[in-house]
Amino acid sequence: MKNYVVYKKLTLPGRFFCWLGVVFLSTTFGQQFTLFIKTVASIFSRNRNFKTDSKNIINQIFFTGIEIFPVLFVVATLFGTVIIIEVITMMNKVGFSDVVGNLMVIVIIRELGPIFTAFLIAGRSGSALTTYIGSMAINSEVDSLATMGVDPIRYLVMPALIGGIFAVLIMTILFSFSGICAGFLTAKVLIYFAGDMLNVQISWSYLSTAILQSLTITDFILVIVKPVLFACIIITNASYQGLAIRKDVRQVPKATSRSVIYSFLYIVVFDVILSFFYIFQYFGEISKII
Amino acid sequence: MIEMALVIEDLHFTYSEMMSRRKVRSQGFLNWRGLLGAVLEDSKKEVLSGVNLKVKLGETICIGGASGQGKSAFLRIIAGLAKPTSGCLYYFGEHIPIERHNALEIASRQVGLVFQNGALISNLKVRDNVALPLRYHGMGTEAEIDDKVNMALDLMRVRREADLFPHMLSTGMQKRVAIARSWAMDPKLLLMDEPTSGLDNYNRRNLLPLIDNMRKLFNTSIIIVTHDLLIAKELECDILFLHDKQLSEPHSFDYWLKSKEPIAEELFRDLQAKT
Repeated sequence: MKNYVVYKKLTLPGRFFCWLGVVFLSTTFGQQFTLFIKTVASIFSRNRNFKTDSKNIINQIFFTGIEIFPVLFVVATLFGTVIIIEVITMMNKVGFSDVVGNLMVIVIIRELGPIFTAFLIAGRSGSALTTYIGSMAINSEVDSLATMGVDPIRYLVMPALIGGIFAVLIMTILFSFSGICAGFLTAKVLIYFAGDMLNVQISWSYLSTAILQSLTITDFILVIVKPVLFACIIITNASYQGLAIRKDVRQVPKATSRSVIYSFLYIVVFDVILSFFYIFQYFGEISKII
Repeated sequence: MIEMALVIEDLHFTYSEMMSRRKVRSQGFLNWRGLLGAVLEDSKKEVLSGVNLKVKLGETICIGGASGQGKSAFLRIIAGLAKPTSGCLYYFGEHIPIERHNALEIASRQVGLVFQNGALISNLKVRDNVALPLRYHGMGTEAEIDDKVNMALDLMRVRREADLFPHMLSTGMQKRVAIARSWAMDPKLLLMDEPTSGLDNYNRRNLLPLIDNMRKLFNTSIIIVTHDLLIAKELECDILFLHDKQLSEPHSFDYWLKSKEPIAEELFRDLQAKT
C-alpha cells in the first residue's frame, strides 16, 4: 500500500491534483495515452536494432497498407465519380460553378479522404491487430515474451505503430489522388454513355486548375497531420484492446468490436477538433473580404 | 545475503491483484474515501499470506501441494508477472520494491520461467523461437546465436524439429523447446512450472540429468513447481509444500515420507503404501 503513503503526505491541493491524475490515467483513454507514450519511448530503448526493426516495420506497412489498396482504390474511384458528378451538376444548377474546385478539395482531400482511409484501415488492420495480440495474450505468449526480457510493447506495438503511420499516410494521399483522377476518368466514361441525359460537361484542365487553385497551405499541413494522428489512434487503440484481454476466449470478439468502434469514435472526434483550424482560416478570409 | 539467489520475506498476495488491470478503481482510490486518503484492505481473498522462502545459488527446490493452492500464482509472482500486495523480494541480494516489480525488471536479472504449456510464439519456427530473445538482446553475432541455438536444441533433442512451427509439435516437445529457450538465455534462476507433466518416462528421465547438469555446471538455481514429487528424490533436492496459504519448511524427500504431518500424509499416501 505504498501509494497511499505517498498520497497522505501531500497537501490538500496536491492531493486534488494527484487524484485528478490518477482518475485520468485509470480511464480507458488515459491508459491508451500511457500506452502510446510508452510505445514512443520504446523506439529509443537499449535493444534497438535497425535491421530487424526496419524489417518488422516494412512487413507491417505491407500488411496495413499495400494489401488494402485494391479495396481502397475501388472505394476511392467510385466515391470520386459520385462527388464529381453531383458537385458539377448541382453547382451548375444553382449557378455557383466557380466553387467546384473548393468543394472538391473540402469533400475529398480535407474530410472524407482521411476519414474513409482511417475507417477502412481501422476495420481491417486495427481489428486484425487486436485479434493477433489478443490471441497471444490468451496463449500466455505475451507473458512469455515479458519473462524472456522482450518488451511486448516494443516487440508487438512499436512496429505496428510506425508501420501504421506510414501506411495510413501513403494510403490517404493515394485515396485523394485516385479519388480525383480515377474518379474523373470514370465520370467521363459515365457521361459518354449517358449522353445527353446528364447534361454535364467537364474537362481535366478545368477540374485540375480549379482544384489546384483552391488548395491552401493548411490543406497540405493537415493532409500530413490527420493521417498520422488517425494512425496513432487506430494502432494504439487496437493494441490496447488486445493487451487488455485476460485469459478468456470470449473476450477476443468483444475486444475486436470495441477496437473498431472506439477507433471510429476517436477518429471522428479528433477530426472535428482538427477542423477548428479551418474555422480560424475562414475567419481570416472573412475579415479580408470585409 | 550475496550467496542467496532468491529471498522472499513475508509475502502477501490477494486475488484482486491477479484479476484486474484497473486495480486503483477497485480499491476505492477513485471515490471520496480515496480522496480523503482512506485505506481499504481486502484481506478476505488472500491466496498467499506470510510466505517466506530462501533459495541459495545453485540450489534446487521443489514446491509441491494440492491443486488450487496458488503454486503457479506464486511462481508468477517470482517471475514478476503478478504483483504481490506486500512483502520483500531480494533477487541475488538486490531488493526490488513492489512498485518496480514487473516481468521486464526481473527478467533483466537473468530469471527465466518455463510455462506449463510452453507458451512458444506460434508464428515463429522453433529455431526462431529459441533465437528470439538472443537476437532481441543482441547477445553476440548471428553465427554465435546460431551456435547457441543449435546447442540448446541438441541438449533437448529437438534439433530435428528446428524448422517446424510449434503447432506441429506434441505437447512434450513444445515443453522441451520451451526449456531450451530458457536455457539459451543462461538464466541464473530458472523457474519451472510442471516440467515433467506431458512427458513420457523416457524423456522425463532425460530431462532430469539435464536439470542436474545445469545445477552443477552453470550453478543455476532452480525452482520446480510440480505434482511429480519423485523428481525431488531423483534430484536429491528439498521439497516445500504450499498449504493453507503458507509455505512449509524445506525438508528432504525421505523426511516427508516418514513424517506424520497431515499435508505430507495426504500427498505421500500412495508412496507410503508402496514402501
